[in-house]
Amino acid sequence: MVTSIKNQNDPYFIDFPGRLTQIQKAMAEENIDVYLGSRLRTLSWVTDAFCPWRSYIVIPSEGLPTAFTFVIDAARVADDSWLDEDHVLGFAPMGGQDQIDQIADFIKRLLKNGRGRVGIESGMSNYLPEGFLTHYEYEQYKAALSDSELVNAHTIIDKLALIKDKGTINRFREASRIVDVGHQAVYDAIIDGGYKGMTETEIAGIAALAMRRAGSEWEWSFTGGNEIACGYRTGLAGGACTPASRKEIKAGEPLMVDIHSMFKLGLGDHSHNYLISPATDSQWWHANNFLDIVSLTLKAYKAGTSPALLAEEMMDFAEEREFADYMVPGFEHGIGMMGDEWRIGLNDGPFPYWTNPDHIYQENEVLICAMQYACPDDNIGFRYENPIVIKKDCCEELSKYPLGIEEIK
Amino acid sequence: MMEKVNYLSPEWRDEIEKRLKEEISPEKMKFLTTSVVYIYKNCPDGNNRFLYFKIDDGSFSLIQVDTGDPPEAEFNVTGDYEVFSKITQGIMKSQRALMGGKLKLRGNMVKALKLASLADRMNKVFAQVPANY
Repeated sequence: MVTSIKNQNDPYFIDFPGRLTQIQKAMAEENIDVYLGSRLRTLSWVTDAFCPWRSYIVIPSEGLPTAFTFVIDAARVADDSWLDEDHVLGFAPMGGQDQIDQIADFIKRLLKNGRGRVGIESGMSNYLPEGFLTHYEYEQYKAALSDSELVNAHTIIDKLALIKDKGTINRFREASRIVDVGHQAVYDAIIDGGYKGMTETEIAGIAALAMRRAGSEWEWSFTGGNEIACGYRTGLAGGACTPASRKEIKAGEPLMVDIHSMFKLGLGDHSHNYLISPATDSQWWHANNFLDIVSLTLKAYKAGTSPALLAEEMMDFAEEREFADYMVPGFEHGIGMMGDEWRIGLNDGPFPYWTNPDHIYQENEVLICAMQYACPDDNIGFRYENPIVIKKDCCEELSKYPLGIEEIK
Repeated sequence: MMEKVNYLSPEWRDEIEKRLKEEISPEKMKFLTTSVVYIYKNCPDGNNRFLYFKIDDGSFSLIQVDTGDPPEAEFNVTGDYEVFSKITQGIMKSQRALMGGKLKLRGNMVKALKLASLADRMNKVFAQVPANY
């Protein structure tokens, strides 16, 4: 997948040299001589290439950054990135070429007299592939750069990546269009008894094939690609059901279809729900509760509100309708270019590295409206996910697949 | 039969230059333009030495053996004299020496991978030169 686009008139154009200038300006303000990025989100945001292997990016105070990745993939990363092959280097278990030796040596040559302040990315995440430096890596770099000071600096990238530019939003729009194609393919496959004999994994595959045909590069989610649940698995406490299992879709059960696409590192993520006929009144009561609260939530997102304000409003509604027990508290998660799928906003909340409930949404932030309804006692649950762009007085829902829960005959 | 020359001596340098030019055509060198410097540490006389190759469009335009500061090169390979001499004699493979950490490479690893077969060709030529190590 060649992701990098240099034509400024292309709808998916992102000004990567401009991003670099912003980073270097922020580095200067914090007296950081060299930035050593290791998080997947940083690699994506700076290189415009997907880096699935352990990778690093070294950003000097001036000039182009250099990415380092596992040698087998370096040529491919260079091919995808806006950076040339001299700025995407491979590391390998060879003398002078392992990641610690090579990168420390490279950094030393960038520093005046081989010493200075080196920004690193240290922290924690609930998201496994985040990519903070491990303790071992930190100790090794600290020893190899013993004349330098290593300082935690990931907030530089986090701040700059918070508000999404036009090209990034357009990539998300296209990824969402692709997801809608996947949902249509699933619907077409399960209607009129088509679901009979199908398993969750098969539905995941039907969606994947349709989305790949429409241009998706990957069902990117680290929670197991396309997340499909049916029956009691839709209502597991907490709402998680991943990955799709070999459970067969059965009449009288709910079906949850949460599918993912990737387009030039922009991410599609939309969840739609069904009731396989015959649906009971109790199931429809749950379904309507869910549809009503999703609809209300989507109307509430706008610049100036916060996750806490929104959650309070929605939980009051759920309480009033007597289904608060089934709502998983939390209505969104963060999203950005590949590798950024965790906290909303900056690391400035009461619990380190979790979303600050008082984060104030700003225009052109992108997040996933993510709502989960789970009633384990009734073996039923629903999930809604949709990337949204925060606007001044509303939000733009990127997936256009109509909100609804259909009863499949 | 040629008399043995001392490894890394001016005579050895002249001989490998002659043979490289005779045996490895620019075509075999893929018309490559690059430079590489081998830095020999702990030579028998106690000094460090370097062996420098400049290759332009596949031709060996400069081969230099000397002491002192090595010239800048696209690739920089550092190791003990003993290791390099074993590689030159064919006793040790250069890749094995790199993977075992006996040699250190500085330079773009991806490009180096593309050049590995060319380096092997050069080593085979070195190995043919009768030398005192």
